[in-house]
Amino acid sequence: MTGMERVLCALRGEPADRRAFTLALSLYGSRLSGCPTREYYSEPVRYLEGQREVVRLMDPDIVFAPFALPFEALAYGGEGIWLDRFPPNVRKPPFREHGQVRPLGDDLLRSPGVAYLIESTRLLAEEFGPDKAVCAVVTAPVDLPAMLLGIETWLETLLFDHERAAHLMDLATEHFLRLTGARFATGASFVAVPVMFANLRLVTPALLEKNILPELARAFGQAKGPLVYHHGGNRILDHLGLYSNLPGVAGFLFDPRDDLAHARETLGLGRLMLGNVNGPGLARMQPGDAYASVSAILANRAGDRNFVLASAHADIPFDTNPDTLLAVRRAVVDAGAVA
Amino acid sequence: MTEETPMGLEANREALYALMLEAEREKALAMLLDHARRHGFQSAVSEVLEPVLERAGEAWLRENLSLAQGYVAGKIAEDLLVAAAEIGGDLKLDVKGPVVIGNVEDDYHSLGRKMVAVFLRAAGWKVIDLGNDVAPSQFVDAAVEHGARVIGASAMMLTTAENVRHLRTEIDARGMGGRVQLAVGGAVFKLRPDLMQEVGGDGTASSAIQAPELFERLWAQSLEAEGA
Repeated sequence: MTGMERVLCALRGEPADRRAFTLALSLYGSRLSGCPTREYYSEPVRYLEGQREVVRLMDPDIVFAPFALPFEALAYGGEGIWLDRFPPNVRKPPFREHGQVRPLGDDLLRSPGVAYLIESTRLLAEEFGPDKAVCAVVTAPVDLPAMLLGIETWLETLLFDHERAAHLMDLATEHFLRLTGARFATGASFVAVPVMFANLRLVTPALLEKNILPELARAFGQAKGPLVYHHGGNRILDHLGLYSNLPGVAGFLFDPRDDLAHARETLGLGRLMLGNVNGPGLARMQPGDAYASVSAILANRAGDRNFVLASAHADIPFDTNPDTLLAVRRAVVDAGAVA
Repeated sequence: MTEETPMGLEANREALYALMLEAEREKALAMLLDHARRHGFQSAVSEVLEPVLERAGEAWLRENLSLAQGYVAGKIAEDLLVAAAEIGGDLKLDVKGPVVIGNVEDDYHSLGRKMVAVFLRAAGWKVIDLGNDVAPSQFVDAAVEHGARVIGASAMMLTTAENVRHLRTEIDARGMGGRVQLAVGGAVFKLRPDLMQEVGGDGTASSAIQAPELFERLWAQSLEAEGA
């Protein structure tokens, strides 16, 4: 079977020759190809070369377009930080005041960082498309204002200025739809959306139910392809029920601390679940420990056809031992077929 | 000023906690000001606000409190301190410290630092807040200038948390290790508990609400290190 076929089997709940799996090896491609990160995150061709090395090493069923959300904020201005061994980041938010934030329209797609994201997606889809699923990652509309204004200003606005918050979420939804549309148009099989500000560890129950979930539903419902709800760095199991009926969401990627069996009970049979290897944690794991940890997750989900083994949190760190990554793959292969 | 009955105090604390959870900042301030009018600002802080913040801190540790609710708690505390300063009265501010805080070089994520400042001030600490993007030498210069025994360094991401190492080096290079204790905090330290030691911190807290307790401990460690 091809990787794409395995992923589709997981989506449809059909048997497969083995468990579909992926790790967020976006950054790791720069290590494998020996390409300096600045070049890797500026030249789509360099990114493709890195992902070729990822496929050569790991042969995952899903390949990642650049996991570089800060480019979305940098499209509005602001200053990037370029560091060796890390993806680019935003030094400080582009805006200090709400009133300064203006929609970019199609200029969003023409900004250098976003154009790079789109072209990288196109190249990946062209090269791997029929055989592997291509995952693009896009900032959630409820999180973009935090990147544009800073977490404090966004929190303050959400809590105490509902009119401005709604205005900013309108802008963010337009951004989200424009960008996800471009990613689907260039060949992304699905878009993973890390969501932070729809979590009760960040916001109040009232904000979540009255302001945030309706906005997510509006945005997700208009997306031009399937979305995967990414846990965004926090556990989501305890309020998974609130998200489970969001439109457009094909699957959920869980935090390593979320109990997958419990998640299955909440979601019911037939919904796609992904998870929940601690991606950044692999950097501190010996191959044997990674093998045992992944095997335990796979054993937990042994009878679950609608499950894809995937890394949670952010990118796999640059300095992760390749043998540790290979141990993850070995555990998947050793677990055998999905009956 | 009159003394509040234990039952009245408990009712006030319950009411304040509920208002904080619901992000009712203005109502919370009105309730505290009403208490202060009848019993003084010191009572409003030490008998109502501080026990509520302590409860909020415990809820935070159990992950039963959101960042937004913690932020509202900070805003309520800040509003009360501002009102106390404007109205005047019996509240004892700046009776501990001073301490120096700031975001490390290249870090502009100020939310956690500002919350720490508010909770420290509410607990009576004099806080010298250096703001964002603070170089190691600025931290240590300020500690020397003000006689601070604790420096609080905030970093949100792994990339900027690495800059705490330079601050550690600066403290040690000036022969101030032990006397000047280094508190570190920020989201990445919660995600990676071993990072505090890796970058040379002397202590951390899992939330801004727990900062006063951490600074008390580090201040005591500093005195102990000097044999004071």
